[in-house]
Amino acid sequence: MADTVLADGALELEPAPEPDAPFRPTPRGMAARIAVLAALLALILAVPQLVPAVYVNIVTKAAVYGLVALSLNILLGYAGQVSLGHSAFFGVGAFGAGYALTKMQLPWGAALLMAALTGAVAAVVLGAIALRLRAVYFALVTISYGFVAQETLFNIRSLTGGGAGQPAPRPSLFHTDVRYAYLCIGVLAVAMLFDWRLTASRGGRAIQALRDDERVAASWGIDVTGYKILAFVISGMMAGIAGALFASIEQVVTPADFGFALSLTFVLATVVGGAGNRWGVVQGGVLFAVLPTLIDRAHANFHIWPFTSISITLEPAVEALLLILTLIFFPGGIAQQQRNLLSWLSFKRFRQPETGGGPARGGMGARP
Amino acid sequence: MPVLEALEVSIRFGGVQALSAVDFRVDELEIVGILGPNGAGKTTFFNCVSGFYRPDTGRIFMHGQDVTDLRPDQRAQLGLGRTFQQVGLVRSFTVLENLVVAQHKSTRYNVLAGMVGAPASLREEKVLRARAMEVLDFMGLAHLHDSPIGGLPYGTLKMVETAAVLATNPEVLMLDEPLAGTGPEEGLAYCQRLKDMRRELGISIVMIEHHVPLVLGTADYVYVLNFGALLAQGDPDEIRDNEAVAEAYMGEGATSLA
Repeated sequence: MADTVLADGALELEPAPEPDAPFRPTPRGMAARIAVLAALLALILAVPQLVPAVYVNIVTKAAVYGLVALSLNILLGYAGQVSLGHSAFFGVGAFGAGYALTKMQLPWGAALLMAALTGAVAAVVLGAIALRLRAVYFALVTISYGFVAQETLFNIRSLTGGGAGQPAPRPSLFHTDVRYAYLCIGVLAVAMLFDWRLTASRGGRAIQALRDDERVAASWGIDVTGYKILAFVISGMMAGIAGALFASIEQVVTPADFGFALSLTFVLATVVGGAGNRWGVVQGGVLFAVLPTLIDRAHANFHIWPFTSISITLEPAVEALLLILTLIFFPGGIAQQQRNLLSWLSFKRFRQPETGGGPARGGMGARP
Repeated sequence: MPVLEALEVSIRFGGVQALSAVDFRVDELEIVGILGPNGAGKTTFFNCVSGFYRPDTGRIFMHGQDVTDLRPDQRAQLGLGRTFQQVGLVRSFTVLENLVVAQHKSTRYNVLAGMVGAPASLREEKVLRARAMEVLDFMGLAHLHDSPIGGLPYGTLKMVETAAVLATNPEVLMLDEPLAGTGPEEGLAYCQRLKDMRRELGISIVMIEHHVPLVLGTADYVYVLNFGALLAQGDPDEIRDNEAVAEAYMGEGATSLA
């Protein structure tokens, strides 16, 4: 054993292994990666404890938005379907959970399941429409879908509690803000694991194959209709769960929470994060969740331009600016900016070989 | 019983009769060539057979089973594999990943089991990768397994595409201009490989190709399409000396393709 360890150590002197052999980090490289990953994990776990008490709920919101971005990414990044009505799935999940908790007096776990189911049903209805329409026309339908949900479904007083909102108490074990933040971070972590297995198994691969070319996918025996619907089901379930988690942050949800602006924020977060890349979109979600607070704090604390003129009301403008900058300079979003880092952290080489696809490789098609 | 059979297939696009009453059959272990000038309806015929177009009249059979009403993916499940004139690959995947997705229909684990990372699915994933490498090796493409599709030249992509369809484990392999973008020597090697495939994998092959000598040298039986109708059919020698075929390809007065 000692001999092999020494031999491994000696290999460090030779930078380039044979081209066909899969890359393996040197022991030192391995240790460095593990150390950085552990530090990042520790940092993430420490955040709910570190931030001032008034901001803990924003951390929770960040985890929830990360989950929504992950959900939207399945449609936008993997299946190649634009959804501008994601607030509908999210809202349906939130009210579904609220209704289950308050009106049906179900335990919190059952309410979460209910939210996942209602989210999935809402998504399947939209998915059935998606099968009949192409790109722009479908995008238009998703917008109206969001509006219709907000104007009709979310105004049914018995379901949503009307303007006063539907109470959605937290589970007793996670009643404090800090504990609830950990619960949401935990759910996000599980969702990311799930997303990883999805893309590494036949279902996720089939969904991505039909995004690139439906005819090719069909010629390989992939049921295009079925897998498109599957993408909507998975996305809807995740959005529904995110909605349930969101509902219990303030422990009450109102229809006003789920407008078109929210749908747009979700899409922007996913694109700025880097559609197709799970690490990217989660960061996008987190960024857009904390953006209003960041702007507000910057406005209050920095007395120099531009912070003096950017107040909270300009948040949509800042979001739009981020989108434009992303599309011009990094079409692959945050994931593209972090391409080398993400590669290094997943135990590969730091520098990625040129792909020939240019920036597009980091874009809609890229996966970690 | 023929592996694949088309009876009187006709299809019309607006004012154009793209195919009129085309009969066609492929027997077991047979290599069938389809020749014809541009616009003769060769690819349209492929699309009818593989289910992307629905013929106005006529039926398609696989192993005697009427598949005319089946979707493309259902025909693929029954063992029909095809390539596309514009390279049919998943562009955002690497070469190896393409061959792994291509094995979709022979993958046994449940989609849900894959999503939750069930041990059986993880085990089978390894088998899928190993099999993909085997096919790449067979096609002489193993060194490219990690390459993204985006960076490969056209001729290589056509080879990768053939490998991907082979990975679907087809009984009939339908190739639409597999040699477009490849040089003459590669063409010869490719046709030799087709014969190896037929023998080693026990499959039938249908090939649309413009390179007439290669088709006549490889196929057991040849169909010639012109203006959507069958102009001639027969073994390569008959086609070589067919006056109508020579005229369609080389103009009035020609009597032989040779």
